[in-house]
Amino acid sequence: MEVTDVAAVSRAREGDSDAFRLLVERHSRVIFRVAYRMTGNEHDADDVVQEAFLRAYKQLDNFEERANFSTWLHRIAVNCSLDLLRARARHDKHRADITVYDGDEEREREIASSDPQPDRLLLSSELQQHVAAAMDKLSGNERTAFILRHFEGMPVEDIGKTLGIQVNAAKHTIFRAVRKLREALEPLVRSNPCST
Amino acid sequence: MQHLSEEQLVAHYYHDDDAPAAAESHLAGCTECRLQFDTISRVLTLVGETPLPERGDGYADQVWTRLRWKLGARRRRARWTSLVAAAAVLAVAFFAGQWWHARNLAPSPVVTASNKPGQVTTPVVQAGAQERVLLVVVSDHLESSERMLTEVANADPRRNFDVAGDRAAELVASNRIYRQSATNRGDQRIASLLSDIEPILVELSHAGKTMSPDDLAAIQKRIESKGLLFKVRVMSTQTGSGGDNPAPAKSNSL
Repeated sequence: MEVTDVAAVSRAREGDSDAFRLLVERHSRVIFRVAYRMTGNEHDADDVVQEAFLRAYKQLDNFEERANFSTWLHRIAVNCSLDLLRARARHDKHRADITVYDGDEEREREIASSDPQPDRLLLSSELQQHVAAAMDKLSGNERTAFILRHFEGMPVEDIGKTLGIQVNAAKHTIFRAVRKLREALEPLVRSNPCST
Repeated sequence: MQHLSEEQLVAHYYHDDDAPAAAESHLAGCTECRLQFDTISRVLTLVGETPLPERGDGYADQVWTRLRWKLGARRRRARWTSLVAAAAVLAVAFFAGQWWHARNLAPSPVVTASNKPGQVTTPVVQAGAQERVLLVVVSDHLESSERMLTEVANADPRRNFDVAGDRAAELVASNRIYRQSATNRGDQRIASLLSDIEPILVELSHAGKTMSPDDLAAIQKRIESKGLLFKVRVMSTQTGSGGDNPAPAKSNSL
């Protein structure tokens, strides 16, 4: 008979490392997917997976058995991702400050490259960059809610639990994310209808 | 006719709306809302097409390999704390024993273990027993240190390294006690090895949660240049076998 997540958590709490390994085997790839969508970087995603399981292990005693382990783990992974994104934002800001002092030419080039122009969008990699830039404009909650709903197909109720907000607020957060993405990407789907 | 709001269209796209049939019926008869809905669908399809790097079946094993030592540090904390405490007690008992023997046996020479009348020597049996106990705990300490050094030496120098700082701190505490014991006993070989690994352990214990690739590369270089892993492995093997087959009291191992 298959060991349930709750039973595995219970055994892991008693120090059974094989039980925790079972949870890693079941959930690591899904958590990687979410972490990659959140961070947009493979290595960062790997680090988030590690950190998420480590935090989960340290907090096993806080896990309520009536809860869903996957949702709980998602919440931890999302928080790890957001921590990393915040750290990265601080780092990027520091670098941006340096870039400004490097001269206007560099800054103009950066601004130009982020401006969506239909004739530059023939390559799919450029499309991906625009999608990534649009995703970067989402707030932490918007990004999380959107990724969990759009890519993971997580029910709105679970997204609410993951973010610690009400169902209606979760629904509205997803809407805000879609609206921002639409604002940023609508010119692309109009000029490149074949891409969809 | 009242059009569907953008929020309702998004909810309908994800099947999160309360009345999907009504929305579908409206979309069938309203060109404007249909266009809006198609645009949202195209944008979301575009976003959904972004590729995802593959992680194969062995990914969980990779995650587990990196993770398990860190988990062990938490679960075995009680054991480590006990080990450090036990080491301290052993050291105290050892020196108290030496002091007691020096005080009580010096005026009246004891008979050797060989029971030859008239032959005067040091208390071989008791010293050997103390030595065996110390050998066991030092061997355990060296094995744990070796595991940590191996973990550091094999880490990918292009990436941040997650440091098991708590475990390193516990090893530092044990290391100091054993180094002091070895020095006091005049066992230079073990004392010297423990002196060599102590700065590395101290650095790891103070490194915080993660170590940058540059710091990691520097510490890997130090481990390699001093041949520390090799030395620890050799000593670990010697002390381990010494525990099973105790050496004579005047041998050079702890």
